[in-house]
Amino acid sequence: MKTISIDHLPRVEGNGGVFATIDGRVVSEVKLVINEGPRLIERLTVGKTPEEDVSIAPRICAICSVSHKNAVLRAMENALDVGVPDKVTLLRELMHMGEFIESHSLHVYYLALPDYVGFPNAIAMASKFPFEVKIALEMKQFGNTMMKLISGRMIHGENPVIGGFGRYPTREELVWVKNRAVQFMPFVFRTVELFCGLDYPPVPEADTVYACCEPGDGRYGLWGDEIILSTGEKIARDDYKSLTNEFLVPHSFCKRSRYKGNPYSVGALARVNVLGERLQGEAARMYKKHYNSSWKKNPLYHNAAQALEILYSFERVPELVDQILAIPENPPLASSRRKSGQGTGLVEAPRGLLIHHYEIKNGLVSGVDIITPTAQNAEDIERYCYIAAQKLLDDGQENKIRDRMDLVVRAFDPCISCSVHMAEVKRAPSDRWKKELAALREAGPVFVGVGQKDRSDDGAGLELASRMKELGVKDVYLEAEIEEDHILEGLAGRPLVFIDAININERPGKIVMLPLQQLFWNAVLSHRLLPSLTNRLACDQVKNAYVLGIQPESIVEGGQLSKPVRLALRKILKDMRGSFVPPVKPKS
Amino acid sequence: MTQDKVKIGIYELTGCAGDALLIVDCEEELVNIFTAADIEVFLMANSDSRHGELDVALVEGSVSTEKEKEELLDIRKRAKTVVAFGNCACVGGIQAAFLDRKDWEKNLKEVYGSHKFSHLQPAQSQPIDAFIQVDFYLPGCPVGKDQFLSTFNRLLRGNPPELFRFPVCVECKWRENDCLLNKDLLCLGPLTLAGCGSVCPNHNIPCFGCWGPTEEANRTSEYHLLLEKGFDIAVIKSRMANYSGARIAEFFESFRKEKR
Repeated sequence: MKTISIDHLPRVEGNGGVFATIDGRVVSEVKLVINEGPRLIERLTVGKTPEEDVSIAPRICAICSVSHKNAVLRAMENALDVGVPDKVTLLRELMHMGEFIESHSLHVYYLALPDYVGFPNAIAMASKFPFEVKIALEMKQFGNTMMKLISGRMIHGENPVIGGFGRYPTREELVWVKNRAVQFMPFVFRTVELFCGLDYPPVPEADTVYACCEPGDGRYGLWGDEIILSTGEKIARDDYKSLTNEFLVPHSFCKRSRYKGNPYSVGALARVNVLGERLQGEAARMYKKHYNSSWKKNPLYHNAAQALEILYSFERVPELVDQILAIPENPPLASSRRKSGQGTGLVEAPRGLLIHHYEIKNGLVSGVDIITPTAQNAEDIERYCYIAAQKLLDDGQENKIRDRMDLVVRAFDPCISCSVHMAEVKRAPSDRWKKELAALREAGPVFVGVGQKDRSDDGAGLELASRMKELGVKDVYLEAEIEEDHILEGLAGRPLVFIDAININERPGKIVMLPLQQLFWNAVLSHRLLPSLTNRLACDQVKNAYVLGIQPESIVEGGQLSKPVRLALRKILKDMRGSFVPPVKPKS
Repeated sequence: MTQDKVKIGIYELTGCAGDALLIVDCEEELVNIFTAADIEVFLMANSDSRHGELDVALVEGSVSTEKEKEELLDIRKRAKTVVAFGNCACVGGIQAAFLDRKDWEKNLKEVYGSHKFSHLQPAQSQPIDAFIQVDFYLPGCPVGKDQFLSTFNRLLRGNPPELFRFPVCVECKWRENDCLLNKDLLCLGPLTLAGCGSVCPNHNIPCFGCWGPTEEANRTSEYHLLLEKGFDIAVIKSRMANYSGARIAEFFESFRKEKR
C-alpha cells in the first residue's frame, strides 16, 4: 500500500485541495476539500442597508472583486428599480474588462503556464521566457490600472455605487486606456497562439453541460438577464435556483450545485463553448482557427479559452472607450424608485457565472443568496479529477495521477476564497468495504440484489441477497421484487445498497463498496440492468445509493458461480452475521 | 550570499486572499521582492513551499477553523516576527462582526443547517492576536501597496515599520477634500485608521471604515453627531461594526454602561 500526496495545492487563489483514494485498481473516491473557514457572508449582509452590502459583499473574493461589485449592483438595482444611465453601464463594462485582462493574464501566464513548461513558478520561468513573463506582467498591470482608474482601487474599490459612480474618469484617462490597449495587440495575438497551441494532454475527456449568462442581442458578453446552457435551454434571471440546486457535502464549507442531478461547468470554456460562434473581429478569426471538438470535452482547454477572452477584452476596450466618450455629460446618481423588493444580478466573473440575489424590506436587506462560480464547478472538478485518475490508473500510469489532478483543478482557475491546500492520492485498505458498510448500519440500509441467475458470476448479486434473507438480514429485496415504483418510493430517505457483480478490472472476488454516482462515471457495469433500475430513483435517492460490487471471474450463459466469487460471498455473509443480523432473542 | 537573506513566509488563513493578491499586484516590484528576500512560503505564487524557521511571517485572514488555530500557533513558534497582514488578521474582518457567540452559532446553522462537516471544525472568526502575540499590524482591506512596500523594506533591514497612527481625516485634509460629514453623509473617516490615502472621500464616497479602527477614535462624539444628522441608531452601529471586528464590542459595551 502506498500514499502519494501533495500537502498543499499551490498556485490557486485561496485555500483547498483534492484527495483521491485508490482501492485496488479502482479510484473509489475523489474529494475537492475546501479548507477555507466559513465566513457566513450570506448572513453578515442581512439587516444592513443596500449601500453597506455593496461594500461588504464583494469582500468574498479579492480577485473577482469587480465581478462581485457588478453582480451586487445589478441585483440591488433590479430590487430597488434603479434606472441606470448608459454611461454608467458602459463604464462598469470597461471596469469588468479590466478584471478579465488582469485575472486571465495572471492565470494563464503565472499560474497555469509553469506546469506546461516545467517550472515551479513564474519567477523561475523567467529565465527561459523572459519576454513573456515581462509583458504578461505589464498586461496584468494594465488590467489593474483600469480597475483602479474606474473603481478607485485595484482591489475592493468603492467608487461604483448604486445608480452610478462617485467620480467619473476624465477624457484624458479614458483615451490613455484606449491607446494603451491598442499597444498590447501584438502580444495579445502571441498569447492566443501560445495557449491555443499548447500540447494539452488528452486525459480527462468527458461530456458535460456548460452554463453562462445570455448577453442578449446575439452578442458575446459578460453579463445578462438570462442563463443559457450548452443544451440550448434558457433560464430566466430570477429562476436561477433551477440551475444551481445547492446542496452540502461533508468535506467542504463550499456549497455544491448540480443541474438536473448532473454536474455542470462554468467559466471561460463554458462561455466559448456556448457563445463562441458569436465572437466578432479578430477573436472570431482566432476562434475559427483554433476551436475543435476537444474544447467541448477537456477542461484543460479552459486555458485556451481564457487566452481567447483576453483577445476579446482587448478588442472590446477601444469600442467601449469610444462609446463612453460619445457621452460627455457625467450623469448624477440614479435614485431608487422603491424601498422594498427583490432582485437578482447575473454576471460572468473570469471563472464563471456569478449570481447575487437580495431581498430588501423597507430599505434594509432581509435575505441574501450568493452563488459563486467555484461552488458551481466543484462537482465537475471532482468528476474530471476522477476520470483522469481512473484512466491513468487503467493505463498503468499511477505516477502521473497527482500531477494531472493538479492540472485539472488549476485549469478551472478555482477561486477558492470563494472558498484552498492539498492534493493527495491514497491507497485504501482491501477490506475498506466493511467500514463503509458499517457506516450505513444506523441509517437502516435497504439491500437490492441485481443480476441474472443463469449467467455464472452475474448471478452473484441475486445469490447473495437470497442468502442474506435466509440469514435474517432485514430489508433485503431481489431485483424482481422492486419492479413496482411504489416500493422504491416507499424506501425514500434510507440508503439503498445494490449488490451486483461489477467489472472493475480487479482480481476475481475483489469486493468494493462505491457510491452509485461514481459508478456511472466509470461505466464498469457488467450489464445494463442496474442503470435502468437506478434511472427510476429520485435525485436525492441517487445521492444516497451505493453499490456493493464483486469482481466476476467470467460471465458465460448457463454457468455457475466461480470459486473466488463464492469465497467473496462467504466473506460478506460472515461480516453481515456479525453486524446486520439482530441477535436471536431467547424464547420466553 | 543566499544564507544572509531574510526568510519570509506569507500565509493565508480565512479571508478573500486580497492581501496576498496585492503582493502579486506589485507588478513592477514583484521580481525585486522575490530576489531581495527568501520567500519561503507563498502558496498563491509558488508550488515549492518550505516549512522551516522564518525571520518574518505575514499572516493574512482570520482564524475560522480549529486547524487554522493550530497552523497559526506553529507559525508563531517558527517566526521571529509576526505581522498581522490586513483587516481580517488585525481585527477579524467582516466575518468577525457577529459579536456574540450565540449569534454566530445561529447564523452558522442558518447557512449550513444541521449539516456535519467531516474535514474541519468551524470556529467563530477571530483576529490572530486572540491566539498569538502579534508584533506589527498592517491594516487595510486590502493592505495598501505603498504601505506594504515600505513595511517590507524596513522588515528586510530589521527595522520596525512606520505606520500611521492617525485617522483617515488627516489624509483627507492633506488632499483638501470637502468634509463629507458636512454634506450629511455617513462617513467613518474620523474613526478609521489612515493609510489608504483617503481613497473613498477622494471619489466623493464616504469612508466605510475598511482599514479598521484607529486607536484614539472618539466614537461617542461621532455617534452623537450622526444621531443629530438623523441617522438610525441601528444603521450607525452596523456601519461602525462592519470592519471593526471584535474591537467595536468594547465600545458598545462601555457605551451601554455609560448610558446606565
